[in-house]
Amino acid sequence: MAEKLGFYFDQTLCTGCKACSVACKDKHDHAVGISWRRVAEYAGGTWQQDGDTVVPNVFSYYTSIACNHCEDPICVRVCPTTAMSQGEDGIVTIDQTKCVGCRYCEWACPYSAPQLNAATGHMTKCDMCADYRAEGQDPACVAACPSRALGWGPIDELRAKHGTLAAVEPLPDPAITRPRLVITPHRDAQPTGSGTGFVANPGEL
Amino acid sequence: MTAATTEKPPTSGIPRRSFLKWSGIAGGGVALVGTGAAFGLLPGVGPANAVTSTVAGSTDEKTVWNACLVNCGSRCALRLHVKDGSLVRVDTDTTGSQDLDGPQLRACVRGRSFRRRVYNPDRLKTPMRRKPGTKRGAGEWEQISWDEALGTIASELKRVIADYGNEAVYYQYGSGVTGGNITNTAWTRLLSTLGGYLGMYGSYSTSQISFAMPFMYGERIESNSIGDTVHSKLVVYWGDNPVETRMSGGGNMWNAQKSNKDFKTRTIVIDPRYSETALDLADQWIPIRPGTDAALVAAIAHVLISEDMVDQQFLDTYCVGYDEEHLPAGIPAGSSYKSYILGTGPDGVAKAPDWASPITGIPVDVILGLAHEIGTAKPCAIMQGWGLQRQANGENNCRAVMMLPILTGNVGIHGGGNGSREGTIRFPLARFSIDNPIKTKISCFMWTDAIARGAEMTDIADGVQGKKKLDVPIKLIINVAGNTLVNQHSDANRTTKLLEDDSLCELIVVVDNHLTASARYADILLPGTTNAEEVDFIASEYSGDTAYAIIADQAIAPLFEARSHYDMCAALAAKMGVEEKFTEGRTQEEWRSELIRKTSASVPGIYTEEEFHDKGVFRVSNPDGTFVASKAFRDDPVKNPLKTPSGKIEIFSERLWKMAATWTFGDTKGDVITALPEYVATWEGAEEAKTNDKYPLQVIGHHFKGRTHSSYGSVDWLQEAHPQVVWMNTKDAEDRGIVNDDVVHVFNDRGRIELPARVTPRIMPGVLSVPQGAWYSPDAKGVDTGGCINTLTTWHPSPLSKGNPQHTNLVQIEKA
Amino acid sequence: MNTHELPMIIFTVLAQMSVGAFVVLGVVQVVAGRRFGKESVDKVTDPALYAIGPALVLGLIASMFHMNDVFHTLNVVRHLGSSWLSREIVFGLLFAGLGFLFAVVQWFKWGSPRLRQALAALTALVGLTLVYVMSMIYYTLETVPAWHSWATPAQFFTTTFLLGSLAVGAAFMGALMWRRRAAAKSGNVFHVDDATRTMLSSCLKGIGLGAVALLGVEFVIIPMHISGLSAAGGAAGRSALVFSGVWFIARLVLVFLGAGLLAVFLYRYATPTAQVRTLAIIATSAFVLVLAGELIGRSLFYDSMVRIGM
Ligand SMILES: Nc1nc2c(c(=O)[nH]1)N[C@H]1C(S)=C(S)[C@@H](COP(=O)(O)OP(=O)(O)OC[C@H]3O[C@@H](n4cnc5c(=O)[nH]c(N)nc54)[C@H](O)[C@@H]3O)O[C@H]1N2
Ligand SMILES: Nc1nc2c(c(=O)[nH]1)N[C@H]1C(S)=C(S)[C@@H](COP(=O)(O)OP(=O)(O)OC[C@H]3O[C@@H](n4cnc5c(=O)[nH]c(N)nc54)[C@H](O)[C@@H]3O)O[C@H]1N2
Ligand code: SF4
Ligand code: SF4
Ligand code: SF4
Ligand code: SF4
Ligand code: SF4
Ligand SMILES: [Mo]
Repeated sequence: MAEKLGFYFDQTLCTGCKACSVACKDKHDHAVGISWRRVAEYAGGTWQQDGDTVVPNVFSYYTSIACNHCEDPICVRVCPTTAMSQGEDGIVTIDQTKCVGCRYCEWACPYSAPQLNAATGHMTKCDMCADYRAEGQDPACVAACPSRALGWGPIDELRAKHGTLAAVEPLPDPAITRPRLVITPHRDAQPTGSGTGFVANPGEL
Repeated sequence: MTAATTEKPPTSGIPRRSFLKWSGIAGGGVALVGTGAAFGLLPGVGPANAVTSTVAGSTDEKTVWNACLVNCGSRCALRLHVKDGSLVRVDTDTTGSQDLDGPQLRACVRGRSFRRRVYNPDRLKTPMRRKPGTKRGAGEWEQISWDEALGTIASELKRVIADYGNEAVYYQYGSGVTGGNITNTAWTRLLSTLGGYLGMYGSYSTSQISFAMPFMYGERIESNSIGDTVHSKLVVYWGDNPVETRMSGGGNMWNAQKSNKDFKTRTIVIDPRYSETALDLADQWIPIRPGTDAALVAAIAHVLISEDMVDQQFLDTYCVGYDEEHLPAGIPAGSSYKSYILGTGPDGVAKAPDWASPITGIPVDVILGLAHEIGTAKPCAIMQGWGLQRQANGENNCRAVMMLPILTGNVGIHGGGNGSREGTIRFPLARFSIDNPIKTKISCFMWTDAIARGAEMTDIADGVQGKKKLDVPIKLIINVAGNTLVNQHSDANRTTKLLEDDSLCELIVVVDNHLTASARYADILLPGTTNAEEVDFIASEYSGDTAYAIIADQAIAPLFEARSHYDMCAALAAKMGVEEKFTEGRTQEEWRSELIRKTSASVPGIYTEEEFHDKGVFRVSNPDGTFVASKAFRDDPVKNPLKTPSGKIEIFSERLWKMAATWTFGDTKGDVITALPEYVATWEGAEEAKTNDKYPLQVIGHHFKGRTHSSYGSVDWLQEAHPQVVWMNTKDAEDRGIVNDDVVHVFNDRGRIELPARVTPRIMPGVLSVPQGAWYSPDAKGVDTGGCINTLTTWHPSPLSKGNPQHTNLVQIEKA
Repeated sequence: MNTHELPMIIFTVLAQMSVGAFVVLGVVQVVAGRRFGKESVDKVTDPALYAIGPALVLGLIASMFHMNDVFHTLNVVRHLGSSWLSREIVFGLLFAGLGFLFAVVQWFKWGSPRLRQALAALTALVGLTLVYVMSMIYYTLETVPAWHSWATPAQFFTTTFLLGSLAVGAAFMGALMWRRRAAAKSGNVFHVDDATRTMLSSCLKGIGLGAVALLGVEFVIIPMHISGLSAAGGAAGRSALVFSGVWFIARLVLVFLGAGLLAVFLYRYATPTAQVRTLAIIATSAFVLVLAGELIGRSLFYDSMVRIGM
């Protein structure tokens, strides 16, 4: 059996720059509206004001997310056409000749990975740069990150090296889809479900 | 139709323009007229006329090396993938390490979107002239040939030089191709061969620190490199945001990230905003009211002095003016730094933490904590950004911060620094430029005054250099790859009014790729090529302890009728009869070979031109390991004196002391020169905000990841990734019933901008930030719907450097 | 209104209405048939039955617009094993087919009444399963808290019966009025016999009563759903915010007017001696108001698609 692939994300290094996101767009020639990799800014906390002075007790950090090629991909489960399917290597792809564009997978995926191409009427999604990997190159986003915050590889190896954490706000409970994603958390990372902050850039996701 | 003698066919055999879909005017000579609207239409510009790259019809794909040349303080390699004559993908450096030494020069988000800047709907396509009889800026244009455009410029240049002299010709500050070599200096080289032009000193970047630091150190010297923090016990990023202002994966962003991760040195960030640097690196964030850094420094100094944490031996040996014993002769008692701090000087105010606390907004205990850390961490690296010097009291702010390493003896040692901005080593690249023979200069920020009242401007009132006063106002402006003509200068509404009057400045030439706000005020508008369309030889910028050179090869043929700066200047030189002097008989490509050849003389082991085409980037590592500022001076101050009159660090500057007595000012609050780096309360400053009911909020305009100033500002991918928003604190928003993403107006008496609000805990209450560089776009009612901060800023210069205090502004904000 | 999901709003509401109407017609057939005889009942129910078909077909056509590539539509049944959407399509087609079949055999009076009744029962069962399957599409999305709730099937079924019964009432009266007008056109006096009057009035009474009862159910589901979401916070809490504002109020008011006020009128006014015209107006208005209210309600339902995660 082939090794299952996943992503690694070092949240301590992420600057929210979105070089990853734009490199992906450039590689796949996407128009505005389709971003296979998106970056959420999570922020929260309070300010204490005392006369003329202020003391912050605030936090903020970024999370860069593409498709996590989940172990229990809800997108595959709900897809009526079987266009969404998972390969040997765990990579979840969309068969463009089957997809009917019903957007059920888009409703289902808690990572906003599937995105509709209005021009073709078909769903699109990260395939972990299958062509680049076939040529022995890193996926475009991974190679692009100026902070070297992204990695990819066999998920078992990534987990052995970096742990198993994926439950960080604003990400969903990993129990739902079991994402092949490992995160080194930011010092202020809030656990999933804690609801202590908010997504500051909802319009960008 | 073209007079260019140097124009050469594209390097590959690609049929020129065969891949372009251009639905606008295709042939020359057709004069299409736009509407009379404020920002009318320009023929051939706009989405309908967008160039699209064709990906279909695969033939061999080639990849050439190039670089991103915009003024961001980094310099990244780009690898341009070309298919059928079109740019189809933009990759970045594939060489180099993932370490501090010799890192891969990974392009940032902007570089990665370069393709959308090249093939942008608002690309300029042909030379244009303002339609005769229409108002400047009205947006009515006629397409003209290169021959006619350059002919007009040649005759106007001759006329203005004959009538007013070379000092009436001004080469406007413009940094769009800062990273370029040939392309960045072609126009100034040409103007210099014509006898020169009114010069400028300073820059919009560092007006205040570049002017002020020499009074202390004799010259502007950058601090130790970030990599040198391997030796530090404490790192302070003071108004310094390298994670967002040095965004290359091979520049200081990377160095800051990597050092922080590897060395785990305790890090403090002092900034009104929880900047990306604070977000990523800070163990502690101390928000400060903009423009009050000198007060915070004074309070820290008070603690250091009163708790005996100063390095007295360093101060005695290396400095002038710390205490009464080390004042220059003839200076009245009580003028020393120590006296100022302890309150025994003329103002009689002790600068204790409880004095600074209400000014800065920082609680006393936080100031005490900070002082104790800075006083005890040995060594301590303080890196100063340029945000605090882009203030009405910027000269004093930046000198003040530099006091802390001086008081603690951190100058010239590993792990310390001089409190200026993080340093870098430079690549000794041969340059194409030649010097301006005219030595009269104005501050880069004073050109609007020089148009309006040039002949009244003097040295002591307006900072004119090289002469007591200007003889003539500016009559002709050449604005190349710059948007400071409108967008990046202050008070855009006022600036555009000034430019509309063509009896003042008689000719404005703009060379750009895009229809920018500045381009709209041109009389002659020339379409330049992007760097994808020409060749050059590029040097690194703020990259730390690795310096490098990048070859820029031409990827695609010039789009439409665009020409490289070199080619247009060569053609103009021919018309002015100085072609030989300008070109020295070379084409741009031949010049590049010459520059590579010249460079190789001083850089052993550098690639040959042939190797460069293949390998792209040539790196050198700092032979000393990490960079330490003024190390020689520290090691032996007698043998290696500074370039100050005393040869020492002048905490008290006798030169400033004299200028304070002779320079003249109006009665605007804060317009003073002080010999010591004192805190000065100013117009529209933090203290005035407290009593100004109409405009109670301070607004700064931080440098922003979505753009490099205004460059890349029209790229749709970037607008999507990093939309323009105004940062405001949750509390300020609540008070005004504003929620995240509400469209708001930010306004003062100078103008009004419209943009969405980012309601966030990441900025302190009472302060807003409008990321600078958004495109000025006034609507019919005069509301700038582009959200350009310079609709709100003022022409009033800072007192000493006559520089741009663009982070000093008071405003109000309301729901649109 | 959520124009983005308009096809799904129209499809789900019309399909549920069709199922509801079919079931209500069946109930009328069984209950009223016993009292008033099959013959007279068929006379009123048949026209209503033939109105269901077009409504359902309209709904199915609308649902096609939800597919962004209709040329691939046939693929949607490939994943019956795990996709509720596949199942919905299958049951939708099955219900349409069976309904059509039943309409045909009823029209031609083919087969024995018992056989037809069995076919009707099967169709009704498939219809109710369709509503269940539809609700499962949303209910099973544990990533959408507003949908992943008992309220989704509860709402869908309430809509089904509420709209179904009011549609039947409106269809009864509509058919009557249409026949009256046709008669008037040809110069005849239209006469409704007493048995039919009695039957109609008791049907309308039943429908009125049923509507009021279902309104009660709906007005229990809605606040419970909203308070449940609000209490959960996060994405659920954000989706609860959808159920406020003008559209939400409009929905409540419309449904209240239709299924409350007018249904009570209907119940009170529906006597064998009542004015046919007035009855028709009340029954039709009640239906139209509730249909509008439910369409808005469904629109809000789609608006409440706030996903957990990012
Ligand atoms: N309020 C406020 N204003 C500020 C600042 C601030 O902090 N606050 N910052 C100031 C600072 S530090 C600076 S350096 C200035 C920068 O101001 P500018 O030097 O004006 O920089 P840009 O806005 O990037 O404008 C560069 C122009 O060059 C053009 N360009 C890019 N590439 C090419 C090319 O290859 N060929 C040609 N011909 N043109 C090209 C771009 O289209 C753009 O119009 O802004 C200053 N203005
Ligand atoms: N992404 C990106 N990078 C850029 C540029 C760009 O436009 N975009 N421009 C480039 C250029 S030309 C330049 S000159 C540099 C500019 O570099 P800087 O001048 O250092 O950048 P700024 O964002 O103006 O200011 C740096 C920080 O200072 C803070 N600040 C502002 N006022 C004060 C103050 O009074 N006190 C303190 N303590 N902090 C203050 C701001 O919030 C900001 O986080 O950036 C370069 N890099
Ligand atoms: S490129 Fe790297 S640092 Fe930038 S947003 Fe993506 S993951 Fe974060
Ligand atoms: S991230 Fe979403 S689209 Fe990707 S496999 Fe998981 S559930 Fe499917
Ligand atoms: S949009 Fe395509 S991939 Fe997604 S569920 Fe529908 S058919 Fe499957
Ligand atoms: S792996 Fe490739 S397809 Fe997936 S997000 Fe990264 S660049 Fe895009
Ligand atoms: S804008 Fe600066 S950091 Fe970004 S790619 Fe260009 S040179 Fe590099
Ligand atoms: Mo700058």
